[in-house]
Amino acid sequence: MTVPRSFPVFAIVFAVAYSVVYVISVWKNYALFTYHLATNEFALGVEKPKEGVPAMYWYGWLATSTIAASAAGLIACWLPRRLMERLWSGWSWVVPVCAIPVFCYMLRNYFLR
Amino acid sequence: MLTVFLIVHGLLAVALLGAITHQALSVWWPARKPAGSFVGRFRSVPATSYTNAIVVLFLCTAFLGGVLIYPDFRVSVRPPLEQLGLWPALGVFDLKEHFTVVGMATLPAYWYFWRQPLTGQHARTRAMLTALLAFIVWWNFLVGHILNDIRGFGS
Repeated sequence: MTVPRSFPVFAIVFAVAYSVVYVISVWKNYALFTYHLATNEFALGVEKPKEGVPAMYWYGWLATSTIAASAAGLIACWLPRRLMERLWSGWSWVVPVCAIPVFCYMLRNYFLR
Repeated sequence: MLTVFLIVHGLLAVALLGAITHQALSVWWPARKPAGSFVGRFRSVPATSYTNAIVVLFLCTAFLGGVLIYPDFRVSVRPPLEQLGLWPALGVFDLKEHFTVVGMATLPAYWYFWRQPLTGQHARTRAMLTALLAFIVWWNFLVGHILNDIRGFGS
């Protein structure tokens, strides 16, 4: 299977952007859409729960992050090659690893009650 | 139908756990000589051959759990756990869903850096991505198991 030469750049930028955007999406609740469990409906943007049943934002956070990370990865592929050749492959794990303690901190109230 | 999804989700998770553990051990603790023991044979697998299976299993397990099972969890499992005040259990489960997304973010890079021929230049990146995925898969497996045990099957 032949892979485009720019794929490693896309993959590294995608991992970094996805992790960062997902953390921000969860923190600020930037869900692209809301899924209402009570009515089995999708609504654009963030909406409050209906009929006392919790609304789900997780799918919306995933959509926000997927679109943003894909766009970032594709844009990076268009940047000059000499610039992208200096991109350290380690960013693809360093940033996702950093996201883990951030989520632990964001959810700390579950463990401190 | 949900029971079928949950069982398939569990079976896929077991397969994924085995594959990623094989690969992680073969990278971080490679066998130096022909293995005689069970653990030695476990470590001396050709790590590259697991990559595609791990990517597919990770995505399938996440899809089953996140898309087909998770809505029912929010309606029929989470509320009783909240009423019981089992906040740490809910916290570790919320971490599971976030860790899964972090794992998905790394899959294109993980797949690329495990492609043949392997380059020594990216050996550290390959090893760290594998370790990160192994941590996430183990966390998700254990937390899913614990939540299932707390709520009780079919209760």
